[in-house]
Amino acid sequence: MIRLIFAVLLGMIAPSVVMAQDLQSLLQTHQEEVAKPGRRSVGVVLDDLVASGLTEAASFLENWQAREVYVRDEDGLFFYLNDDETQLIDITSGAPSGLADVGLTQVRPNGGVRRAIGTALVQFQLSDPDINRRRGAIEAIARDMQASQLEPLVASIEGEADPGLKVVKERLAGLMRASFGETNEIRIAAIEGMAGDLSVDVRAVLNQILATKRVVATELPDDQNIATVLEPGTDLPMEDAYDILVAADLAKPRTTQNQIKAALTGNIVEGRVGGMAIASLDTFEARAMAYEMLAAAGLVEPLVGDDEVQDAIAVHVIYDVYTEQDTEITEAAAASLDALQTRIAVHQTADLFLDGLSLASIYFLAAIGLAITFGVMGVINMAHGEFIMMGAYTGFVVQQFIPNYTVSIIVALPVAFAITFGAGVLMERTVIRRLYHRPLETLLATFGISIVLQQLAKNIFGTQARPLTSPAWLDGALVFNDIVAISYIRIAIFVLALIFLCLILFILKRTRLGLEVRAVTQNSRMAASMGINPNRINMLTFGLGSGIAGIAGVAIGLYAKVTSEMGADYIVQSFMTVVVGGVGNVWGTLAGAGMIGGLQKVIEWLNPSNTLAAQTYMILFIILFIQFRPKGIVALKGRAAGD
Amino acid sequence: MERTFIARNPSILWFLLGLGLFTLVVTILSEATGNGAISTSFVKTLGKTLMLCLVAIAMDVVWGYCGILSLGHFAFFGIGGYAVGMWLMYARTKEIVVENLSNAVIPATEAEINGAIGVQIFGVVGSSEFPWIWAFADSLFLQLLAVVLVPGLLALVFGWLAFRSRVTGVYLSILTQAMTLALSLYLFQNDSGLRGNNGLSGLQNIPGIGDFNQAQISIGFFWASAFTLGAGYFLFAWVLDGKMGSVIKAIRDDESRVRFLGYHVESYKLFVFTLTAMVAGIAGALYYPQAGIINPAEIAPIASIYLAVWVAIGGRGRLYGAVLGAAFVSLLSSWFTGGGAPDINLGFYIIQWTDWWLVLLGLSFVIVTLFFPCGIGSLFDKLVRRQQ
Amino acid sequence: MSTLLEMSGVSVSFDGFKAINNLSFQISEPELRAVIGPNGAGKTTFMDIVTGKTRPDTGQIIFGEKNISLIGMSESDISCAGIGRKFQKPTVFEAQFVRDNLGMALRNPRSPFDVLFFRGSADNTLRIEEIASQVGLTEQLSRTSGELSHGQKQWLEIGMLLAQDPRLLLVDEPAAGMTPAEREKTTDILVEAAKTRSVVVVEHDMEFVRRLDCKVTVLNEGSVLAEGTLDHVTQIPEVIDVYLGR
Repeated sequence: MIRLIFAVLLGMIAPSVVMAQDLQSLLQTHQEEVAKPGRRSVGVVLDDLVASGLTEAASFLENWQAREVYVRDEDGLFFYLNDDETQLIDITSGAPSGLADVGLTQVRPNGGVRRAIGTALVQFQLSDPDINRRRGAIEAIARDMQASQLEPLVASIEGEADPGLKVVKERLAGLMRASFGETNEIRIAAIEGMAGDLSVDVRAVLNQILATKRVVATELPDDQNIATVLEPGTDLPMEDAYDILVAADLAKPRTTQNQIKAALTGNIVEGRVGGMAIASLDTFEARAMAYEMLAAAGLVEPLVGDDEVQDAIAVHVIYDVYTEQDTEITEAAAASLDALQTRIAVHQTADLFLDGLSLASIYFLAAIGLAITFGVMGVINMAHGEFIMMGAYTGFVVQQFIPNYTVSIIVALPVAFAITFGAGVLMERTVIRRLYHRPLETLLATFGISIVLQQLAKNIFGTQARPLTSPAWLDGALVFNDIVAISYIRIAIFVLALIFLCLILFILKRTRLGLEVRAVTQNSRMAASMGINPNRINMLTFGLGSGIAGIAGVAIGLYAKVTSEMGADYIVQSFMTVVVGGVGNVWGTLAGAGMIGGLQKVIEWLNPSNTLAAQTYMILFIILFIQFRPKGIVALKGRAAGD
Repeated sequence: MERTFIARNPSILWFLLGLGLFTLVVTILSEATGNGAISTSFVKTLGKTLMLCLVAIAMDVVWGYCGILSLGHFAFFGIGGYAVGMWLMYARTKEIVVENLSNAVIPATEAEINGAIGVQIFGVVGSSEFPWIWAFADSLFLQLLAVVLVPGLLALVFGWLAFRSRVTGVYLSILTQAMTLALSLYLFQNDSGLRGNNGLSGLQNIPGIGDFNQAQISIGFFWASAFTLGAGYFLFAWVLDGKMGSVIKAIRDDESRVRFLGYHVESYKLFVFTLTAMVAGIAGALYYPQAGIINPAEIAPIASIYLAVWVAIGGRGRLYGAVLGAAFVSLLSSWFTGGGAPDINLGFYIIQWTDWWLVLLGLSFVIVTLFFPCGIGSLFDKLVRRQQ
Repeated sequence: MSTLLEMSGVSVSFDGFKAINNLSFQISEPELRAVIGPNGAGKTTFMDIVTGKTRPDTGQIIFGEKNISLIGMSESDISCAGIGRKFQKPTVFEAQFVRDNLGMALRNPRSPFDVLFFRGSADNTLRIEEIASQVGLTEQLSRTSGELSHGQKQWLEIGMLLAQDPRLLLVDEPAAGMTPAEREKTTDILVEAAKTRSVVVVEHDMEFVRRLDCKVTVLNEGSVLAEGTLDHVTQIPEVIDVYLGR
């Protein structure tokens, strides 16, 4: 099929190529149109130039478009000028041909003409030896598809040397055939060929084919490709239906309340309008009555009543009609689009999953430190968010000293860990230790610390957001297709979360420290009598939890703004993650993060316009979730969990 | 041996006496009724402080007495403010709109007036339609009912869900904080129907009272605030007196033991949570007309935490402690942040209190929690004990 | 003597560990019963199940002549139905007066609004003083219960139980940490109480059990090993094996 089309197209182009003619003489046949080109007349010249297949034609078009072609007044021949405008240059050979000391007129095509030239030029550039030019030409065509470009595009496919670009050209040709194919068979074949393609441009082409126009008529025509017939009152409100009639000049516009008011104001006679006292005109009904009076007296146009509206709508039909006339094609396009929608839905789900996964890893990073301290020590650290902020600012400060972003991030991670670890240990020794077994007071004291840290950060770094720039290799995104994509930063955060999951599991399950931590978690007094120093364990645990918050801060700072209030943005979500997941369990935190991250994305997807509402609904959901699993997804069981 | 309620709680009398005297002094010194030694704006600040004291008392009852560290009571306070603010804004705008339209040749219709009010109120959020929540905005009575009922209902539903599933301790705190956050995020939306982050404004203008000036209005609100605070104090002292107080304190100290005594702990908690939420709503309804504006930022979780801070600094488990804490910290706070406190020049650095007040507050809060768990109120206790 | 509480086929497990295994137990009204058994025999879990703190996986618990099923009832409802419990560690409300502790326990309507409007009565005061003298705390009525000695706290808790006026009393190690004289008094109070109601005493101390002079149930690994007089059960070889550790 395709090959047949090629043959036909080649057949059409071939005869012109045979007619060997030199450029100057070709142009001379259209001397008038070239020298003083007009939007309408230039088409002939361009067609001939394209058809000639002359290699010099491309550079002529470029010069023509750039207003660098001159006419020698005495004989009307076309020339270029050299750089210092002293020599004439032959347009065919490119060789100097005499001094530019004779009468010359610059050819000045206007904007419309230059666009037309550009279009023609694209066709030459499709076969340009320079691959970047070819690529540029293809992009230009894709931006603004025109029927005339299809043939040259198809013609250039065979000679395309670059296999990648060849695929692109073939694809573009397919798209264009769907719109501009010679016959319905070709178009339908092209449309059906696009069914599996998820790109935005495919959908654009299909939607363009399926574009409709709303029309009103007295009866349905049978020679038009009608998309849908609208039932006033169900498919569209009566008011809108009548407005369409009015817009189509098929009915009189309704008198608006403002017009009624203006008419009444203009017809006041001795404090009365239409026989009614002005003071009584404080309802729409009274005004309508007064207006009717005026109308009866012939002073104003009569009102269009509701009955009239009904009647007018009843005798007309409103329907959407495809701009594309052919039913077969619209049906094929609709079918293709339908098929696409299913695939799009699948891919959107995949994309949503990736989004949810990356959000979940952020929540996991933010919450895991909290989960450790909460689980092991039963301590809620309200300053956890501020430790995240400290980590992010550490990253920012490190970047001030180390300009290389890659190195600075590598340095910032351990530095942030060290600083927040230290802050955590300090806090544990000075505050938390004194408040064991008074969890509510711990909550408040750590909250006091969070106020202090937040305000200190504000005093030191100011209120404006500080940038934490990611290295160049983290810019951009991993694009699977037009729907599924994920940025490298998010992948990096996911990897970081994964590393920390493994690290924490390793520490807890495989090291002496982890053994002691678990012992203290389960029974602190018993652990103490076994020779474990719970104070030391608590201190290290708290330091570890805080340190991880610092690292999370660097990671979060890479894609979000670093402000003194950033901690507060994550603290509630982190708590939710811990509470939903179940206290004292790494897997629980993972499950909690997965659930909250996924849920937030799903809600945002259902209601994309409003992320605030999404958060509200998510929190409500969590409150309800706690009803059914008060101890979280992964709950401890048994007598130990009872108290 | 059964003595009367007042005889058993002499502190109530002292408190009411003090409050009455204070009201009298402020009245005498105010611009409207006295010699003007206290400016109108300071009268408003004092009136607002009284209402902060009331919500602090509510917080003290729910936290200090019943052991529920609620981080949601300032949200109830805000809801009260919104409820009364809706009427104030609606009625005030209606006054203005009707006056503007009265010059028109043809009298305006109901729908036109409502439309104009809608444009005035909701223009800032790109709308002119009245959302459903405003259905009763034209009725002062219904909105005043909402001041009590909406916080009460919210607390009832939320508390029922939370207490029923035995969510306690820090879990409950976090959950109430989440509720507060959800509410404030919801109100921040433009399509919440409450003007998004613009909030409600112009609440200091009281419609339908003729030509009282702000000085007179402020003293009126001050009296109303003082009366409400007194009534609230009395109410809670009465509730906490006797067996109810015993049970509530017992729940704070050992919830499961109370259960084995046959008390349905959840109902008691729900009762305390709901009652205090309603009182918080009333406090908010009197606070915001004096503040003049309410917006969602007021409801943010941080405000509820500050409430806990006041109560902790004032001293938990004593009603007057909550009053002391709220009055002391909030007045001090406005003194420091309002630029009243002199900067300290250290030579190499100038401490500006607008920047450093929060640091000071946070630190003193940590210190109070660590070393003075009974707060300022305990000083009072010691004084009284020494006299005895 | 009619059956007051009947447990049959009750089992409960924590993470795979069977704390109570197909336990059946009966007690009449009035009756004094001692429950003994080695550590981990399920004595505390047994009480948790009866009082509603732990929900059994299988089995039935029937209470009273109306045959109420206790399974699924809340702790407070079970308490109101007439089952009182004393914990191993004395748990009294230390911040409050002894009088208030007893007052809270007194058998009165328990709903928040009843309690809110309850303002004491002469009858009530009388009851409190009666119970206080019963447990020997008349002098201490106006002290905060945190100031009491360990033994006095135990008595206060027993007093609170009596004030509740339950039909079934579950007492967990009442004599722990008491002087011999205090033990004797505790015994007297329990024996006296068992004249009008059912009392189940969980105890380790054989001497104390002997002084109670009542039927004994031996628990082991979550089920009943033996039942009878103390002299009878201490003759049974299995009991000697598991309990006396020989």
